[in-house]
Amino acid sequence: MRRSAAEIALSTGVLGLGLAVAGVAMTLPSEGGYAGIGPNFFPGVVGAGIIVLGIWLSFEALTGGWRGAPPDNARERGEHAFHAAGFGWVTAGLVLHMALIGWAGFVIAGTALFACVARAFGSRRIARDVSIGLLLSVAVFFFFVRLLDVNLPAGWLQSILGSAGI
Amino acid sequence: MDAFDALMAGFGVAMKPINLMWGFVGVTLGTFIGVLPGVGPALTVAMLLPLTVKLDPTGALIMFAGIYYGAMFGGSTTTILLNTPGESASIATALEGNRMAKAGRAGPALATSAIGSFVAGTIATVLLTLLAPVVVEFALRFGPAEYFSLMVFAFITVSAVLGASTVRGLTSLFLGLFLGLVGIDGQTAQPRFAFGVAELLDGVDVVVLAVGLFAVGEALYVAAYQSRLAGTVEHLQGPVLMSAEDWRRSWPAWLRATAIGFPFGTIPAGGAEIPTFLSYTVEKKLSRHPEDFGRGAIEGVAGPEAANNASATGVLVPLLTLGIPTSATAAILLGAFQNYGLQPGPQLFQAQSDLVWGLIASLYVGNVILLVLNLPLIGIWVRVLSIPKDLLYAGILVFATLGAYSLHQSWVDLLTLYLFGLLGFAMRRWDIPVGPAVIGLILGPLAETQFRRALAISQGDASVFFTQPISATFLAVTAALALGPWALRRWRRR
Repeated sequence: MRRSAAEIALSTGVLGLGLAVAGVAMTLPSEGGYAGIGPNFFPGVVGAGIIVLGIWLSFEALTGGWRGAPPDNARERGEHAFHAAGFGWVTAGLVLHMALIGWAGFVIAGTALFACVARAFGSRRIARDVSIGLLLSVAVFFFFVRLLDVNLPAGWLQSILGSAGI
Repeated sequence: MDAFDALMAGFGVAMKPINLMWGFVGVTLGTFIGVLPGVGPALTVAMLLPLTVKLDPTGALIMFAGIYYGAMFGGSTTTILLNTPGESASIATALEGNRMAKAGRAGPALATSAIGSFVAGTIATVLLTLLAPVVVEFALRFGPAEYFSLMVFAFITVSAVLGASTVRGLTSLFLGLFLGLVGIDGQTAQPRFAFGVAELLDGVDVVVLAVGLFAVGEALYVAAYQSRLAGTVEHLQGPVLMSAEDWRRSWPAWLRATAIGFPFGTIPAGGAEIPTFLSYTVEKKLSRHPEDFGRGAIEGVAGPEAANNASATGVLVPLLTLGIPTSATAAILLGAFQNYGLQPGPQLFQAQSDLVWGLIASLYVGNVILLVLNLPLIGIWVRVLSIPKDLLYAGILVFATLGAYSLHQSWVDLLTLYLFGLLGFAMRRWDIPVGPAVIGLILGPLAETQFRRALAISQGDASVFFTQPISATFLAVTAALALGPWALRRWRRR
C-alpha cells in the first residue's frame, strides 16, 4: 500500500491550520445585531471546514495515499529529481530582494533578484545576468516612476536616478 | 431596443481615442506577456494589474479586456510553436497545433487560431450583448439569500464537482475562504487574522495571491524539478495565411466550437478545459479527414481555439451580470473592479451603464485589434518565445515582486508573496487545483456579506435560504451536483 510521508505531513498541516483558524475564531466577538451572528461566525465555519478536510486528507493519506495524486518518484512524473540548488537560489533571490528593496532601492534589489533567479535556472554568466538585470530594473523603475507615477524607492542610487523615489 | 441603445452608447465610450489606445496597449501587452512560456492568462492579468492604478476605471477596464484577449492569443501561439501548454485549456490545441508546426504548417495553424478566435470571440460577444440584459432583469429580483445560495453553487462546482479530487479541490477553496477572512470585517470593523500587522488589515490582495501561486510557485517548481527546460521552438516557415482548403475545413469548426464554448463559459464549469476537449472530440468525429488527426489536422486547432475564446467571453456573463467569477482569471478581473470600488452585478448595469456597456463594446473592438495587430506582428511574438529560460524566469520574478511591493511599499507584502509561492509550489507538486483558492479569496467575503444581510433581514432565521424559491432551487441543484455522482456510483454498484 502506498504511503507518502509528505502527504501525511501536508494533511496534518491542513488539520493544524483548521484548528488554528477555529481557535482564533473563538476569540472574536459574537455580537451580530439583527443577523444574530457576528464576525466570529464565518471564521468558525471556515475553521470547521478546514478541520474536516484535514481529517479527510489524513484518512486518504493513511489508506493508500491521496487519490490520484502524482507519484513521489520524480522520474515517474517525467521530471528530474528534486534539485535543491534551483529551489534555493530562487528563495535566496526573493529573500535578498525583500531585505534590500527598502534601503538599497528597487534597482539594486531587482538586479540581485534577477541574477539569483537566472542562477537558479542554470546560468553561470554572472556578468551578463547582472547587466541585463540592471538594465531591466532601471527601465522598469523609470517606466513606473516617471510614466505611471508609482512610487518606488531609489535607495542608494538616489543621486543617479534623481529624486523620483521615496 | 434598450440594450441596443446602451451598446451604441458603449461604442461611443470604447471608440474614444484615449480608450482605443488603452485597448491597443492592453492587447499588445497581454499578447507579449501571454506568449511567455509558462505564463497563462490568469498570471498575465495579475501581473499587468499594477499598470492601471492611475487610470480612470473605464480606461483601465477597457485595457483589461484587451489584456484578457491578448493573453489568450499569446498562449495559443506558445502552445502551437513550443508544445508547452501554459494552461489546461490549451492542451487540446497542442495536440494538433504542434504537429502542424512540426510539419512546417505553423503559419496556417496560427492563422486559423487567430481568425477562429476573432470569429468565436465576436459571435460570443454578440451572445453576451443579447444575454446580459436578460440575466440582469432576472437578477434584479435577487436578494441577499439568493446571492448567497448562488455563490455556494459556484463554490461547489468550481472546487468539488470537477477536477481530479473532490477533497483537494475543497481544500483549495477553503484555503481561499480563510485568506479572504484576513483583514477588517466590513460590517463590524473587527480586525480578523491580522495579528496587528498593518499590511494584513487591508486583507490579502488577489494580485499577491495569484502572482504568488502562479509566478513564484511556478518558478520554484520549474527550478526544482527542471520540468520544462526541454522544448524546442518550431520555426515559422511561410506566411501566416490559410489556403482555400484550410478555410473550408476551419469555418464549420469555428462555429461549432463557439456553440460549445460559450455555454460552458457561462456556467461555473471549471474554465475552458472541458469545452476545448469537447470541441476537439467533435471535430475528430465529424471530420472528413479523420486520418489527419494526430498528424496535424487543422480542424483540431480551429475548434479548440475558437471554443477557448468563446468560453472566455462566456465567463464574462456571470461576472458582469451577477458579480460571480467562475475562473481564476475572472476572479482577478473582479479584483480589478473592486480596486475602483465597483461591484459587478445588476446594479452596476444601472448605476454605471456607460462603463459596463463601454466595456462590452470594447470587447468587439478588442477582437478586431487582436486580428489586425497579431497577424502582422507574429514574427515578434515568435522571437519573444526564444528568450532563454534563465532570463525569462528572472524577468518574470522582477515584475511579480513589483506588483506586490507597489501595494504598500512594504517588504511584508513581499514575504507574503514568497509564502504564497511556497504554497503554489506544494499545490502544483501534489496536484491541488489553484483556481478554487483564488475564487474563494474574492468570492468568500462577498458570500459572508450576503449571508449576514440575509439573516439580518430575516431577524436571524436561517430557514430563509430554503424557503425562498430561487434560493432553494440553487441549493437543491448544488446538492444534486455534489452528491449526484456519488449516489449514482453507489446505485450502480448494487
